[in-house]
Amino acid sequence: MAAARCSGRVDRAYGTGTGDCGLRTLMDAFLVALLNGLVYGLLVFMVSAGLTLVFGMMGVLNFAHASFYMIGAYAAYFSGRYIGFWAAVGVAAVVVAGVGLFTERLLLRKVRVYGHTQELLLTYGLFFVIEEVVKLLFGPTPVAYRVPEALRFTAFTIGQSEFPFFRVLMGGVALVMFFVIYAMLTFTRIGLVVRAAVERPQMVCALGHNVSLIFSGLFAVGAGLAGLAGAVAGMYYPTSPAMAHELGTIVFVVVVIGGLGSLNGALAASLLIGVMTSFAVGVEATFGDLIHRIGLASTGFAGLDAVQFSSIAGVLPYALMLVLLLWRPAGLAGNRN
Amino acid sequence: MVRFAPVLVILLLLGLPRLVDMAFLNAMVLVLIAALYAMGYNLLWGQAGLISFGHATYFAFGASCTILMMQAIEKGSSFPTPLLPLAGGVAGFLLGLVAGWFATIRTGVYFAMITVAITELVRAIVQRWDSLFGGEAGIAAGRPAWGPFGLQKLVDVYYFTLVWVVLGVAFLWFLQRSPLGLVIRGVREQEERVSFLGYDTHALKTLVFAISAGISGVAGGLLAFTNESTNVTLYEGAYSSTVLVNTVIGGAGVFLGPAVGAALTTLFGYYVANMTVYWLLYMGLLFVVIVLYAPRGLSGLAVEAMQTLRAGKRLAFPLILRRGIGAVLLAAGTILLVEIIGAIVAPVYWATAKSTGVAWPAVTVFGLAWTPAAPLTMATIAGLFGLGSLLLRGAAGPARRNAAALIGRLTGRAGRAP
Repeated sequence: MAAARCSGRVDRAYGTGTGDCGLRTLMDAFLVALLNGLVYGLLVFMVSAGLTLVFGMMGVLNFAHASFYMIGAYAAYFSGRYIGFWAAVGVAAVVVAGVGLFTERLLLRKVRVYGHTQELLLTYGLFFVIEEVVKLLFGPTPVAYRVPEALRFTAFTIGQSEFPFFRVLMGGVALVMFFVIYAMLTFTRIGLVVRAAVERPQMVCALGHNVSLIFSGLFAVGAGLAGLAGAVAGMYYPTSPAMAHELGTIVFVVVVIGGLGSLNGALAASLLIGVMTSFAVGVEATFGDLIHRIGLASTGFAGLDAVQFSSIAGVLPYALMLVLLLWRPAGLAGNRN
Repeated sequence: MVRFAPVLVILLLLGLPRLVDMAFLNAMVLVLIAALYAMGYNLLWGQAGLISFGHATYFAFGASCTILMMQAIEKGSSFPTPLLPLAGGVAGFLLGLVAGWFATIRTGVYFAMITVAITELVRAIVQRWDSLFGGEAGIAAGRPAWGPFGLQKLVDVYYFTLVWVVLGVAFLWFLQRSPLGLVIRGVREQEERVSFLGYDTHALKTLVFAISAGISGVAGGLLAFTNESTNVTLYEGAYSSTVLVNTVIGGAGVFLGPAVGAALTTLFGYYVANMTVYWLLYMGLLFVVIVLYAPRGLSGLAVEAMQTLRAGKRLAFPLILRRGIGAVLLAAGTILLVEIIGAIVAPVYWATAKSTGVAWPAVTVFGLAWTPAAPLTMATIAGLFGLGSLLLRGAAGPARRNAAALIGRLTGRAGRAP
């Protein structure tokens, strides 16, 4: 009986977001938030994959990694005007891999003798230089890098929300990337040598492999992946000089939460953060509500009571990281400190 | 000679208001504040070996709390005006205790990332808490007078800042020479050994983090006192990176190095920012060059030169001159290239080209007009780069080997095998 009454009212319930059948609306909203969170998480994973691989294998934390993501977006935007979307995505990945190779061979290699601190500082400096160069060439405001017309259609609808195909594509690219890297590292001979080079570089060198070349190649591939991510995601999110900073800190958090050098950990952490942020944005409660719920009248600060949870959704990843550090300092999937 | 240098510097700073104009004195107040901020920051880096990428939080929190205290004074609370920056210091110290406890659970790269995360966390909360921190518009309060001192004129503010900065630097100096300073350096070098001696190393690192945050808070308090206002943009990443850049350029290994770096970059920003919009790019490039070729910063170069003199050797002046000229030529080439590119990518440039009918309107750099596509311009840029790098050839080799050997000795381990 209830079900019959419900089905008659579903359409109206969508329109207002209230009514007897709020549960179904809620389920749809839940599903949309979940999918959006997963897609954002997969995007974060695309960038953090390269960072965590390089970090785990070479011990270099590349502050400029998110800048590679930005260069990818700008390279695809610039070349896309002449050669079309798909070719531009490929060009962006190759160009950024080249930038990565240059960075590793001509810059990072020079300071390696001083240890990781100096490498960290160098990439930190590069982060600023790249941002300023982008501002110099393309201006400080976002550029009009848009999803091409041919790809602007709805993949499927959930309730009344249309889910754009492009989001599916972004998620798909990230998933394919994950399986390719995973398979390469696990099942191929190259992957075997790379993993060995990470564990015992001198032994692998003695066996006749060019370890220096392996590290350079790894760095370039990691950069290329970030460039690919930038080329794909740059049209969905604003392509501006600030994009490296916006994503960069999140990506660091993912690497810490996931565990040093762990691809699986990075995937889990990215999805966790993506979904968590996506849900937090949809919550309408304030801090004051939470305090009332635990039985107190106020936080003691009128201003803090009125702050909405949704407005601090961006903070959740950092809070999660601090909690995790207390509970499991090596990260979700990490086994080293 | 070197022993009397601090006295000379203080005398010079004392007499400065009589020697310079108001604009420069204003810049000097900012220099002093930036210097104290960098010195406080470097307590963490130079002594404990921990590099924070998010120190702006404590600087900005000190500024906010000082303004809040000044507002309280305006409302009738009694608090001695000369101790106002201390309000910022205590605020920074307390926040630093909490943040430091989290951050120093880990070291190295992890420590760096946690400091970034804490900064983002605090910034997000502060930016939404408008009733207390005032948002983008900020909060303001007048400087309260104290006894015979009005503290309204710039000269008064300058001396007020100078006294606090000298006190802060003296505090850091004695801290460094104290037994506590020794233990902190011990933690940096051999944490495990220090903990076997019975010290709680996590507590020690938390303490040094909090003291460093406290000094930064005093600097923030001085800035708030000078400006009579503050806003939430101070919590942004730019203020964290500035202090790091100052420390790297000045050199973390020498006590006053960060102060030198702070003075240089603040004055650079103060003057060059009026001349070109690309000054941040030049700062970034300078930073990268210092990291690559002078890892111990400018003060590190000075120390090297002094060690050479003390060893009874002479400085190789022709070599220094050659490299100096090379560096200047490279810098000129870079500036020329950047300014011309910056001019021609702007839409205004093409509008001018269209309206005047000239294909490549000239761009003025160094007071000269350059036609971007002309062979002479290209040849000049190529010549500056070519000649500059020719003169600099071999500059990095021996210096880098020496520094690597030194760092290897200090840390007790060789650099990672290539």
